[in-house]
Amino acid sequence: MAFTRENVYELGGDWAPGILWYARGVAAMKAKALAEPTSWRFYGAMHGVDTKLWHKLGYLPTGDKKPSSKLQKAFWKQCQHGSWYFLPWHRGYLIAFEANVRAEVVKLGGPADWTLPYWNYFKPHQSALPPAFASADWPDGQGNNPLFVTQRYGPNSDGNVFVPVSQVNLKALTIPQFTGVSSGGSPGFGGVDTGFSHGGSVHGGIETQPHDWVHGLVGGGDPNNPQIPGLMSDPDTAGLDPIFWLHHANIDRLWEVWRRNPPSHVNPTDPNWVKGPGNVGERIFEMPMPDGSTWKYTPGDMVDLGNLGYGYDDYAAGGAAIAAPVQGIAGVAAVETGKHVELVGASQGAVPIQGGDVSASVHLDKAVRQKVTQGIAAAAAAPDRVFLNLENVTGTSDATAFHVYVGLPDGAKPEDHPELQAGSIALFGVRKASLVDEEHGGQGLTFVLDITDIANALHLTNKLDVDALHVRFVPVTPVPKEANVKIGRVSVFRQGS
Amino acid sequence: MTPAARERRQVEVPVLLVTLAAWAVLIVRPGAMSLSNSCCIPSTLQEGLSTMSLHMLMSRNPLSTLATGWLLMLAAMMTPLLAAPIRHVMDRTLARRRWRSVLLFVVGYVAVWIVAGVVILSTALAVRLFWPHSLLPIVAAATVALMWQCSPWKQRCLNRGHAHTPIAAFGGAADVDALRFGLTHGVWCVGSCWALMLLPELFAVGHIPAMAVVTVWLIAEKLDRPSTPRWQWRGTGKATRLVIAQTRMLLQRG
Repeated sequence: MAFTRENVYELGGDWAPGILWYARGVAAMKAKALAEPTSWRFYGAMHGVDTKLWHKLGYLPTGDKKPSSKLQKAFWKQCQHGSWYFLPWHRGYLIAFEANVRAEVVKLGGPADWTLPYWNYFKPHQSALPPAFASADWPDGQGNNPLFVTQRYGPNSDGNVFVPVSQVNLKALTIPQFTGVSSGGSPGFGGVDTGFSHGGSVHGGIETQPHDWVHGLVGGGDPNNPQIPGLMSDPDTAGLDPIFWLHHANIDRLWEVWRRNPPSHVNPTDPNWVKGPGNVGERIFEMPMPDGSTWKYTPGDMVDLGNLGYGYDDYAAGGAAIAAPVQGIAGVAAVETGKHVELVGASQGAVPIQGGDVSASVHLDKAVRQKVTQGIAAAAAAPDRVFLNLENVTGTSDATAFHVYVGLPDGAKPEDHPELQAGSIALFGVRKASLVDEEHGGQGLTFVLDITDIANALHLTNKLDVDALHVRFVPVTPVPKEANVKIGRVSVFRQGS
Repeated sequence: MTPAARERRQVEVPVLLVTLAAWAVLIVRPGAMSLSNSCCIPSTLQEGLSTMSLHMLMSRNPLSTLATGWLLMLAAMMTPLLAAPIRHVMDRTLARRRWRSVLLFVVGYVAVWIVAGVVILSTALAVRLFWPHSLLPIVAAATVALMWQCSPWKQRCLNRGHAHTPIAAFGGAADVDALRFGLTHGVWCVGSCWALMLLPELFAVGHIPAMAVVTVWLIAEKLDRPSTPRWQWRGTGKATRLVIAQTRMLLQRG
């Protein structure tokens, strides 16, 4: 049977049958004990788990029986981030989750072809949280709607949950290569070549934006205690929010959009990607299925959506509102990125992000800067790309999100200069990445933003040939001092021939 | 090959060449670094220990030979572990400063190991002096190494050895950061490897094979990712799985 995932806003009503059955399926999974591999919380823990945080948020009552250590070791803490496995792992995770919900739906007398909807927040008038998820009640007015969670605070941390359209983009769809480098250049559309990576350091293009950003803005932080993230803001709690799955269905759809447009976009063929981390002696991807079996899969198994029996009702990137950003700069976006990556300059020391606006100066090396300007002037067949790196970002609050502007004049209002916005960063996973005795070794996260367009524009107005480039960080909501958010180094790299 | 793998190879190849060169010297001239016993040292403590014995031992193991041997041992055993941090230094440094920064990193790293070497070699010499023909010190050192291997403190050192800190781009600050990174990386490396590094020094016979075994072990445990410190067996997990996976792949190709 082929399953077609459909837009949640176009199912025929706020509580269309597809949504209602999802809610019933979720309720059935939530009713199961944590120790059961097909339970709601077990599936959430497969994405990530922090028992102290779960307990604090009320998802792990004292005395609640956990699964055996063998089950935990096999299934929990599997999500792949900062890795070229990000997309294929989540595709398998979605399919397995969907199979479990569908099994519950069928048990309850629902349709055997029930399919998970996706949330395309890019489409006009669809950026608000789908209404069924925003209501504490079932459609008949009865409480305990399983799609509703209280720890979903929204971009302004006031409970109004939506995705600000002006703050998300689909520039990642213009990245020509699936995988890239971790040395300061493009990390690629799908992320950098890693082993099993339950939270790698360098996030790929589609992972940084829109994936991380939507996580951070939908989840937000507890307004009464900013150290407490919304469920969606932290990888260790994100899988507990029912909207997580619709967001990831959209990210999965965008992978298919990227692959189809243009046809030169191809998935990796390297055996270490195709065969997955098992090929290098690491954990394999495995999911508990409703019949009690374990489904093991590799990224290679995930490349052909049709063969998996899945499809989407729409392969357009977003909607009319975001058509322009997808195109990028004509003649540049589709060009292959060069192999040579080189540091152009960096900030002197770390940059703490506290309160509102924060500025930093990136000192540029004269000789390398001239290479960049010459590359732009020459308009070569494979022009240099320029990347802003936010290295070793650490902190304790995953709910932190900020916009990054480059070359903004002193005193200028950021909102008046959207052309100078390098990107928007949500620190999804930063808390764990900052812990010394976790997988990152405490070195934090690194974000890479393509600022080629801005560098070109600055060059045309003679503002690139300067000793220092000003970078401004504008938090969505003020960052408390206790969050200890710090960028280890802000740097600029060129990537070319 | 992926772009990231291509970049990794740019560092891994020279690192491998240095490692192989060091091993070639060790195999061709094994006496270049192994400690020598003195035929005149009393076989038991009860027979008395004379100043002459110590002088005899030192004359057979002059400081210059000890230092050369220790550096050769470091080059053979530790160089393979430095590919990732050296790549970090190269990636995050201006192209014209790369080799200078790598050199400073290595200087910092080796400096820590030289200090550690004084302690390790002194211990080994003391063992030769007091128990020249006894297996007891080797058994004791192996027991200590085993306990350290399983301890949470070892994991703490391993975890910190995986962290790659930011490096300033310009001037003296860039030099200081590269040197500091080498020093801190060296400290955590000594913290995780000291017990295993002591072991080969205690082998009067079979010193080179013992070094080879320890080197493989150190590389294997470095393959594992940082994890929560606790008492557990560590060092062979991922390496074993890697060998099995690669063997299976080769057999499938065949």
